[in-house]
Amino acid sequence: MHVGMPAIAAWMLVSTVATAAELDVVVVDARGAPAEDAVVSLHGGDAPPPRAAVTREVDQRNETFIPYVEVFRPGDRVVFRNSDRTRHHVYSFAPAKSFEFVIAPGGDTPAVVLDRVGEIAVGCNIHDRMITHLYVSDAPWVAKSDAQGHAVFRGLPNSRYEVRVWHPQLRPGKAEPEQAVDVAGDTATLRFSLPLLADPRPDPADNERARY
Amino acid sequence: MNFRLRLALLFVTTLVAVQVFTALLAYGVARRALIADGERQLAVGAAAVAHQLDDISSRVADNVQVLSLDFALRAAIAQNDQSTVLSALRNHGRRIGAERMLLVGLDGTVRSDTAEPAGGAFPFADLADAALDHPAAAVVALGGKAYWMIVVPVYAPKPIALIAAGIPVDDALLAHLQQLSALPNTLELVTLGADGRWTGIAHGDNRVGIAPALAGRELPLQPTLVRLDASEYVVLATRLRESERSTPVAAVLGYSLDDALRPYRSVAIAWASLVALGLAIGLIGALLIARGVARPIEKLAAAAHRIGAGDYAPAAPMIKSDEVGQLAAALSNMTLAIAEREERIRYQAEHDAVTALPNRHAAEAVIRHALSTRPAAGALLMVGLARLPEIIQTMGHTISDRLMRDAGARLRPFAARGVVARATDTQFALWLDGADKADAIAIAFRILDVLGVPYQESDLSIDAAPAIGIALHPVHGEEASTLLRRAEIALFAALGAEDPVAVYDASTDPHRPERLTLMTELREALDRNQLRLHYQPKLRLADDRIDGAEALLRWQHPLRGAVPPDTFIPLAERTGNIRRVTRWVLASGIAQAHDWAARGHALRIAINLSARDLDDADLPTRVADLLSLHAVAPRNIVLELTESAVMGEPDTAVQVLKRLADLGIDLAIDDFGVGQSSLAYLRRLPVREIKIDRFFTQKLGEDVGDRTLVRSIVELGHRLGYRVTAEGIETRAAFEYLRDVGCDHVQGYYIAAALEPDALEAMLTRDGGATNRGVRA
Repeated sequence: MHVGMPAIAAWMLVSTVATAAELDVVVVDARGAPAEDAVVSLHGGDAPPPRAAVTREVDQRNETFIPYVEVFRPGDRVVFRNSDRTRHHVYSFAPAKSFEFVIAPGGDTPAVVLDRVGEIAVGCNIHDRMITHLYVSDAPWVAKSDAQGHAVFRGLPNSRYEVRVWHPQLRPGKAEPEQAVDVAGDTATLRFSLPLLADPRPDPADNERARY
Repeated sequence: MNFRLRLALLFVTTLVAVQVFTALLAYGVARRALIADGERQLAVGAAAVAHQLDDISSRVADNVQVLSLDFALRAAIAQNDQSTVLSALRNHGRRIGAERMLLVGLDGTVRSDTAEPAGGAFPFADLADAALDHPAAAVVALGGKAYWMIVVPVYAPKPIALIAAGIPVDDALLAHLQQLSALPNTLELVTLGADGRWTGIAHGDNRVGIAPALAGRELPLQPTLVRLDASEYVVLATRLRESERSTPVAAVLGYSLDDALRPYRSVAIAWASLVALGLAIGLIGALLIARGVARPIEKLAAAAHRIGAGDYAPAAPMIKSDEVGQLAAALSNMTLAIAEREERIRYQAEHDAVTALPNRHAAEAVIRHALSTRPAAGALLMVGLARLPEIIQTMGHTISDRLMRDAGARLRPFAARGVVARATDTQFALWLDGADKADAIAIAFRILDVLGVPYQESDLSIDAAPAIGIALHPVHGEEASTLLRRAEIALFAALGAEDPVAVYDASTDPHRPERLTLMTELREALDRNQLRLHYQPKLRLADDRIDGAEALLRWQHPLRGAVPPDTFIPLAERTGNIRRVTRWVLASGIAQAHDWAARGHALRIAINLSARDLDDADLPTRVADLLSLHAVAPRNIVLELTESAVMGEPDTAVQVLKRLADLGIDLAIDDFGVGQSSLAYLRRLPVREIKIDRFFTQKLGEDVGDRTLVRSIVELGHRLGYRVTAEGIETRAAFEYLRDVGCDHVQGYYIAAALEPDALEAMLTRDGGATNRGVRA
């Protein structure tokens, strides 16, 4: 279970208890290894009621954006915090939202309202390998795969769903993989095998950033 | 080609052949080693080229990647600011030495291009595709040039586009690569042209292009030997990292065998010099050795030639102990042996074995030599021992040889003036250089004095009765052979004369050359029946009847006319023809006797025999055969012999006479009274008749001495029991006197000349055979 989704899950658990069904989407890479940070979105069925806009923080620690992928609803806000002792020059050229901040050590940015749907890749102009993805989605159901590659949807109304998967390391320019699934009061499982590019982030074990 | 040359040639050709073979072998080995080395170098070089190109390309790619991270560029790309992007691309392209920079969208379309208008599809989609995983680089051919096409993504921060940089891989770069590394000196990039041929698009610091040699070939991915510009190269191609979408590009490396062999050239020259030097030394050595071997052989050959030409001077000694030396020694020994033997043969050929004097042949040569060098004068004395034949017959050759040796020894001192030789069995020849007639005669008498001393041996004392004939040079002959012959003739004359020394007299020489012709003709006459017998009647005084006739030989020569018997009979006797004459006469006379007997004429035919005939032991048999053949009674035949013929004849002749007498044939002694007849000897012979020589009868009419002699002979003859016939009766006085003294028969012109058989028969018939004609006159 993903750390970023407890509110939604709790909410879904409460509101759709009568017709609860479960969909387990498993995302793996081309070699069958679990693919974390894949964003799985379901279209179809009755949409749950919209929630209030929130502000989420993306930290920068050890020249790494944390988290790597964050899911937003249109209208949500994002704040970038610099927990490092270096400056970071955060920028985005994404059509959904472009911005540029130089953040002093320990500083943070003003909240940026993400009002348009789309993927916003954010990098640091000083540290090439720092990257994070802000995924702004208006899909009724959306979840991010955990370290085991699972994105579990519970309490889904029985319906037919279009399931799409996005992953930061999907080859650019390609359409998102998509599958249809019928959910009917039981636990359904769906498996996505994605050809992924190499992880652009530095190796967490390489603390000294010795490798380029 | 002589031995020496052949030997030298063998040496040289062997040396050359071995050297050439070795050189070829070494060249082949070196060449193979170099090719193998070249192949190894090329393999290493090819890998190095690919590796270095990769290295460089990855560095360039890194540079491109760095460029792609330029914030302003990324911003311009993200914001799709075309003109900024293009200018930035140009700017950055210059930094990294790219000739062409492109911005390619993630969908593969060219969004910006520094060389061409944008909008088309990026040609190397595979590179674009791979670039997201890692910087993609490939060597591509574009417009006849080689490029690294390096494609990197532009991260903002996720990939938003690709930058492609076209960096020329040009000649300078390849040359640089060659300089930096130990690459083979020929490097070329080739691409497959539209015509399907490999064409060069970049080359290093090369003298030649390899591409032309690849025409019509597969890419030589294995080391391959090709000819380039009249030189040999080993070439090896290696494919470079390429784009699937580009025409193939390969690096071809060449390894020049000529260049590789160049360092060996000095070695080869040194070698060739060594070979030449070795050849020269070998040639000289071969010639020296060949001379060492051949010269003694040539010397031997020369020596053998010399020996063949008769020069037996000992050859220069050869100290060698090898086979040649042995041969030389053998040759030397052989030479000595030959010389010795030839000397012996020559001595034997020129000397008489008994007297050790030069023989006639040698004497002739000496005389010839003397005549040619001193042609002034000289005398040839022919010394004959008259009694030698008798001595041989009575005492044998051993004694006669000793006698001859003794005579030779006695003559030897006379050789001081010339030469003494044994001319024949019984004769010595003595040449006196420069002697005139008086000298010759004086010396001849001195010789007679010397030889006149009887030969003494134990109880023997032999007088050899020497006689000497002299021929003088130049009056009697210009040539040695002529002188010898004429001296011999003179000797014969001397042998038969009182004076034991005779000088040649041409007028009495019965041996003039025409005599030989005469003998030839005599033989022909015998064969052709040109001889005739005439018969001179013999009158029996008791009853004046012709009861016999003497057969006299007549030769009517077709050219010479009548040849007198005095001319040819002695000649026939000397030349051995007399027996044939005698045979003919016997056959003819006996046949005539038969004819007359058959016609009733009782005639005793007297036939003359020669002294030579008495040597013929077959004579009695032949006479007997003829008598029986013609049925003639032996008593009708009388055989006449001269007094000198029977005198002193050996026993064999006496035996022949006795056998003839035994046949019943009467024997008559002709020419009785003029010779040295020994009546005692005569008594031993079976003689029935003597004929008084005409010497006594011709002057019988007036010479009282002759009359007395004739009367005495007749009386003596009768008392001894011989019939007596007088020859040469030409006068009535002689005839009458003979009748008075009781001579039995007369014969002569007074009775009749010698007549042809018909004429004689006619006379007998006319006279009635028994008519006493008395006289002719």
